[in-house]
Amino acid sequence: MAEIILEAAGIRKEFGGLIALNNVDFGVRRGSITAVIGPNGAGKTTLINVMTGVTPPTAGAIALNGLTISGLKSHDIARLGIARTFQTAQVFGTMTVLENVMVGRHTKTGCGMIASALSLGRMRREEKAIGDKALYYLDMVGLGDLAQQPAASVPIGTQRLLEIGRALAAEPSVMLLDEPAAGLNTQETRALGQLIGTIRDRGITVIIVEHDMELVMDIADEILVLNFGSRLAWGTPEQIQANPQVIEVYLGRDE
Amino acid sequence: MAFRRHLPIMLFGCAAAVLPLALKDPYYLGILVFIGIFSIATMGLNLLMGYAGQISLGHAAFYALGAYATGILTAKYNVHFLPALAAAIIVTAGIAYVIGMACLRLKGHYLAVATLAAGEIVFICLNASVGFTGGPSGLAGIPSIEIGGFSFDSDFKFYYLVWAVFILLFILTANIINSRTGRALRCLHSSEVAAAAMGINVTTLKVQIFVLSAVYAALAGVLYGHSVTFISPQASDLMFSVKLLTMIVVGGMGHLWGGVLGAALLTLLPEALSAFHDYELIIYGSILLVIVMFLPGGLMRGFETLYVTILKKVRGRG
Repeated sequence: MAEIILEAAGIRKEFGGLIALNNVDFGVRRGSITAVIGPNGAGKTTLINVMTGVTPPTAGAIALNGLTISGLKSHDIARLGIARTFQTAQVFGTMTVLENVMVGRHTKTGCGMIASALSLGRMRREEKAIGDKALYYLDMVGLGDLAQQPAASVPIGTQRLLEIGRALAAEPSVMLLDEPAAGLNTQETRALGQLIGTIRDRGITVIIVEHDMELVMDIADEILVLNFGSRLAWGTPEQIQANPQVIEVYLGRDE
Repeated sequence: MAFRRHLPIMLFGCAAAVLPLALKDPYYLGILVFIGIFSIATMGLNLLMGYAGQISLGHAAFYALGAYATGILTAKYNVHFLPALAAAIIVTAGIAYVIGMACLRLKGHYLAVATLAAGEIVFICLNASVGFTGGPSGLAGIPSIEIGGFSFDSDFKFYYLVWAVFILLFILTANIINSRTGRALRCLHSSEVAAAAMGINVTTLKVQIFVLSAVYAALAGVLYGHSVTFISPQASDLMFSVKLLTMIVVGGMGHLWGGVLGAALLTLLPEALSAFHDYELIIYGSILLVIVMFLPGGLMRGFETLYVTILKKVRGRG
């Protein structure tokens, strides 16, 4: 059993009177693919937002490599090695596809405003390295040909891949994918499954929120099932498929 | 690559250098000086609005603060220009930092109103501190800019100073936009939450760019004060902030040349339409409305689209 890289203990999140997450515990093994599934409104995206510091948990703690990250700001959490994509693709529309991926290198580079303004040698070398890395990761998600296109002009499926490329460029230790297959056709979804496998093979731990059960059962090592903000089940795809409670609330009653 | 990027501004610089020699009427030289000054102010505001997507309706305040700072120091205390300039930049940056920290938590309309209020506070302070600023009647007798014994005491000399400053700032700004910091800025425009997820410290960056754009406005104000030798609180009023904003929207948000084009058009237009001075607001409003409705990217983007369309047609035929 590999060590736990990301651990959540007693996560609770309230929005006013609504309890979006209620006492959720889980531990993600390093180098695994963990899927988070559940009906709409189960708290999946909230869980990702809590893990990435978009919104702090009301109670409970999250630790990355044993270091508590809950309560930190988004950008600090990113710096510690968690990258993510968004349920509704959030590409930087005024920039090119390549520039979007270049942004992914932000935490790994350091030239500030003054170095940039004066176009110092240090800055030009860094820019070159950022561009090279970005192209490398853009090729990895298969968008090398679109490098110079405005990001707003590419189709939604491509924007999702672009987000993955951008997250990859950050060379994170954990990547959170929020419904990456939404809006993709069968073929694209299959390619996405392969890409996620490639990402895992690079040593990146993947946590994926997804509705496409075929994809989830295909790639996930472990599955967390949420229902009304609570943890309903946790286990391998086989265990989850055999779990009567899960079948009842999520996969539908099997006659 | 860096050379290619800066080629248009180099050519522009050459054109700007020979233009005064061709001008017969000194009146136009004065107008070109103003266009240069406004171009510097809009360049900073464009960084903030066009690139980082943060609105400010208070930039006239920084413009006035710059003008007052060097104006008071050189006219009243006989301080040399360069130390006075340094003081002006530090003071404006400091005030912009405080205003930015307070306002930039807000977004959209709220940010607009907050910056408007901050600008008004500066306007009121400049009006009220009569002993220091001369109050509503303004501060007169600002001397010419003198650097190392050389005095920019004519429109002709001042023209070269203003446009040299503009070109220098243009190159620095273009460098920033095409850098790690510039990309981070442009991210703010599209999605702050995604920017933060990529490790960008959104709050710090917003304040940084707010301060930087305020310094641009202050530099423009400094040049303005020494050019007309007079400054009044009028320079910091809302109308001027709106004018700067209009220049950017008309010329092109998020387009460095857009600010210059907008500054040129909106400086020349009142001259051409001086008979309609009473209707200035209506004319500005109409222009803004038409541009926003039909050319939301501003004139510069409109020209680019036109150019690309023509290019495609020509190539398609050939």
